[in-house]
Amino acid sequence: MKKRRLLSLMTAAAMAGSLAACGGGNQGGETTPAAAGGGETAATTATETVEAKEGQTVMRWSIWDKDLTAYYQPLIDEFEKQNPDLKIEMVDLGSSDYQTVLGTQLTGSGSDFDIVTIKDVPGYTTLVNKGVLEPLDEYIAKDNVDLAAFKGLTDQITVEDKLYELPFRSDFWVVYYNKDVFDAAGVDYPTNDMTFDQYDELARKLTVDVPGQEVYGAHYHTWRSAVQLFGILDGKNTILDGTYDFLKPYYEMVLAEQEDGICQDYATLKTSNLHYSGAFSQGNVGMMNMGTWFIATMIDKIKSGEYTDCANWGIVKYPHADGVEPGSTLATITALSIPASAPHKEDAWKFVKFVCGEEGAEIIAATGNIPALMSDGIADTISSKDGFPADDGSKEALQTANLYLEMPVSAKSSEIEIVLNEAHDNIMTGNTSIDEGIADMNEKVGAILGGGQ
Amino acid sequence: MKIKNTKTRVMRVILYVVLIALALVMLVPFVWMLSASFKLDKDVFIFPIEWIPKNPRWRNYVDIWSKIPLMKFVVNTVKLTLIVTFLQLLTSSFAAYAFAKLDFKGKDTLFLAYIATIAVPWQVYMVPQFMMMRSMGLADTHLAIICLQAFSAFGVFMMKQFYEGIPSELCEAARIDGMNEYQIWYQIMLPLSKPSLSTLTIFTFVNTWNDFLGPLIYLTTESKKTLQLGLRMFISQFGSEYGLIMAASVLSLIPVLIVFLSLQKYFVEGVAASGVKG
Amino acid sequence: MGKKTIDPALVQSKLSVWEPRLAELQRQAEAETDPKKKLKLGKQVDRTRDKIRQIKTGERFSRQTKRDMVAYSFILPNFIGFAVFTLGPVIFAFVLAFLKWDGNSPMEFAGFGNFALMIGNTRFLASLRNTVIYCVATVPLTLAVALGLAVLLNQKIKGRNFFRTVSFFPYVASLVAVAAVWNMLFSPAKSGPINMVLYSLGVAAKSLPKWSADKDWVMFTVVLFSVWKNMGYYMVIYLAGLQGVNGELYEACALDGANTWQRFWYITLPQLRPTTFFVTIMLTINCFKVYDIVYMLAGGSVGVLNESAIVLVYHIYEEAFRNWNLGYASAVAMVLFLMVLAITLVQFRGEKKYAN
Repeated sequence: MKKRRLLSLMTAAAMAGSLAACGGGNQGGETTPAAAGGGETAATTATETVEAKEGQTVMRWSIWDKDLTAYYQPLIDEFEKQNPDLKIEMVDLGSSDYQTVLGTQLTGSGSDFDIVTIKDVPGYTTLVNKGVLEPLDEYIAKDNVDLAAFKGLTDQITVEDKLYELPFRSDFWVVYYNKDVFDAAGVDYPTNDMTFDQYDELARKLTVDVPGQEVYGAHYHTWRSAVQLFGILDGKNTILDGTYDFLKPYYEMVLAEQEDGICQDYATLKTSNLHYSGAFSQGNVGMMNMGTWFIATMIDKIKSGEYTDCANWGIVKYPHADGVEPGSTLATITALSIPASAPHKEDAWKFVKFVCGEEGAEIIAATGNIPALMSDGIADTISSKDGFPADDGSKEALQTANLYLEMPVSAKSSEIEIVLNEAHDNIMTGNTSIDEGIADMNEKVGAILGGGQ
Repeated sequence: MKIKNTKTRVMRVILYVVLIALALVMLVPFVWMLSASFKLDKDVFIFPIEWIPKNPRWRNYVDIWSKIPLMKFVVNTVKLTLIVTFLQLLTSSFAAYAFAKLDFKGKDTLFLAYIATIAVPWQVYMVPQFMMMRSMGLADTHLAIICLQAFSAFGVFMMKQFYEGIPSELCEAARIDGMNEYQIWYQIMLPLSKPSLSTLTIFTFVNTWNDFLGPLIYLTTESKKTLQLGLRMFISQFGSEYGLIMAASVLSLIPVLIVFLSLQKYFVEGVAASGVKG
Repeated sequence: MGKKTIDPALVQSKLSVWEPRLAELQRQAEAETDPKKKLKLGKQVDRTRDKIRQIKTGERFSRQTKRDMVAYSFILPNFIGFAVFTLGPVIFAFVLAFLKWDGNSPMEFAGFGNFALMIGNTRFLASLRNTVIYCVATVPLTLAVALGLAVLLNQKIKGRNFFRTVSFFPYVASLVAVAAVWNMLFSPAKSGPINMVLYSLGVAAKSLPKWSADKDWVMFTVVLFSVWKNMGYYMVIYLAGLQGVNGELYEACALDGANTWQRFWYITLPQLRPTTFFVTIMLTINCFKVYDIVYMLAGGSVGVLNESAIVLVYHIYEEAFRNWNLGYASAVAMVLFLMVLAITLVQFRGEKKYAN
């Protein structure tokens, strides 16, 4: 009996020992079995186990969706070709909890990231407040980077006269429409110049309410941006104002549409977790407002044969308020930063400058995504991509007049975001009336803005 | 006598009807998973649900192996789960014996300290814990996950409660027979606590197998990631592949069910009772 | 150990301290009327007696110390890991509750500042209210259902293994799947299965609840969901506990002519006491720490919980990782901890009283 006990204890000790071994010494040289399957995976897993050659500096770059984002690898390849002494190693922190994981990784001084991708403005504000990002102004001044090329975007992300990130990707919102739905209803396609009234009228004309064969003229995803931010496009108000009465007409329009079955019910969409791509690809949605990031998905999935009921599609500019020029829309940016704890800041800046600069923009555009640096040539690159709608209207829709960030930078961005989300949800589910919801926003955002100063 | 028979028979029928109804309600999520695992992502959340897909996509079960290094993730998860479960069982049942059957200084305080940590949400001590682990060089290692999971207070607490159900007279008798405490633990307590050891095995196995937050924070290198992190790789910023996620989830349920089924035989009445008799 | 030479003078001087102490303790124990204090004093008497015996024999460790050391040797393997990786960080988190810290800048002492912030925070107050409502509803319900299920599935019935496995299913199945199915059953649409039943029972279409999207019904939905998802888990614990019930007691009881209900009430339940103690505490703690199921049911695509559904741990999460107010988040956790501790201590007391 005793022997058996001893044996089991020894096994435990041996196991603990072997753990320590496999825990510590796994850094390089390991090949994953999946590297053999599928070219995409093979290429990307290879970079992970990349070993620095003599005299090479390896820099760690935090990203998400490594295998699903087409431009990471081409960007790295081109950069490494130009800088043979530098190697970039991607570290995928996952999409859904990216900001949480990044924030934790950058906590304290032990992080070894050289370049980090910033997913959204609240995330950016958080990290700036936390003091873990390096201001880029000196680097920008030193290398004479022309910020004017970003068309005012960098002004919107400047915090107390300092810029901590440089955008490389800038998506903006357009209206996607399904030509088959319009044809079936005998309605003309939407144009790049329509007012909200015209848009609403169009949506109503498309709608069919026969049970079992419903067609919805419009579709609004459950994000607050999809409805709430119609209100800021006339340039008279911003979402950080503290008073939100200007949102009322837009909520009235959408709630009326919901009531009449023109669009799907918000509460059902919310609880069923239906993704906007799932809704649009069913082929029973006439128009859907969504960001330009959806272009690449549409092209890919139609090509692969997954989307069959929306293969005949187009995009137009956002509707606009009376008396405002068309082309004003919402923007959301993805940017690069250098952590204050980065081991190789100078080299990291080289990479940031490359990705956010013109060369980087070309590479990003070639994959069908919208770079932050929009020149005339780049719009052509995107619209000439195979699978992009061939009509002139869709091409023209890529030209924007004014870009408003979905959430502008402010020390209070993330707190205000929570209030706005909650009010949006309450109004859309009918838990509160529009007036109550707006009063709630006014009160709470007012308190947040007043409390901090 | 006859009346009583019919009465029991009616009771039996009612019992089975209730059980079958319950079983159906419990099975719905699994059926949903199975059905979704044969669909394209765009169709997964469509309402009303199409329970039997018109064009089942068997490909989902092939694609999950090539789109992410799933095999590697499975190997990692199996390794972590086995080690954690083993360590947890060993150290918990060992410590629980002292808490349940021995009298020593500071017992209550120590035990309360154990329970107290269960009551603190991980979210608040995650950051200090992470910084400590990183300074020990454990960030991005499997050892970090093992240290995190293997010494949980939960196991000690549970085993202690079960040991308390075993009559102390057994231990006293053994002591009189000249056994030392280690022998009592090994020769009397362990064999008698098979149901509770099975329970702890099941729970630890399931927890480690399904753990998401721990690996998310600690494991950043792809070749070290686990199954649950792998599942999240199908969820991307601009869309997700729920068909694939469900296919992989269905597969990942299999080991859990095997463990549950194979340990169920220990949930048999009278284990402790027979111990008293013997 | 006992071979050490004994210095009689030293022994005498030591004894002159300890022996009067023993006499005093014995006197006190005699006089004490409160049984609890009497027990405590009795233990002290034993320890002192042991000490005197140790002094007389000249052993380096008293019997009690030896016994303690054996006990510690049992606990040690687990305790080392537990102390370093859990207890340490937990204590650090407690200290954090009195600091202002974003995880990066130098820490500042905040006193009770973090606690004062809570009082004015509507999201904190809402999360406190929702968590308490959730716990009060979920704990007894889950306990009852799990026990009932375990007793049912502990009988000799056909397909027992199948039913047991199936009950464990909602707990192990992917949360995405379980939540999707639940939200499908409780769909806010008129065509949702539950709403269809309500509609046919005469509830007006306008007043049909929107379940997890409805501010008045969301907690109700979450409670039902949670019972359904977790009862299998606690059932397994009860099932294991039931295996420890002495079968002979049932036989004796049957001879006395007790019916099923009486057997359950007078034998099963008292025998399951340690299990119930464990289940209740774990259930209470887990309910106070509820987070992911609320998030999955009511978070929507944005993943933000409204004041109608926010719970404490979600509030902690959002303050810690969205706003990096680690001090404040720790303070909230402290409130949660104190509530759980209070409840646990009451249960601990009850358990001790019963055991004696």
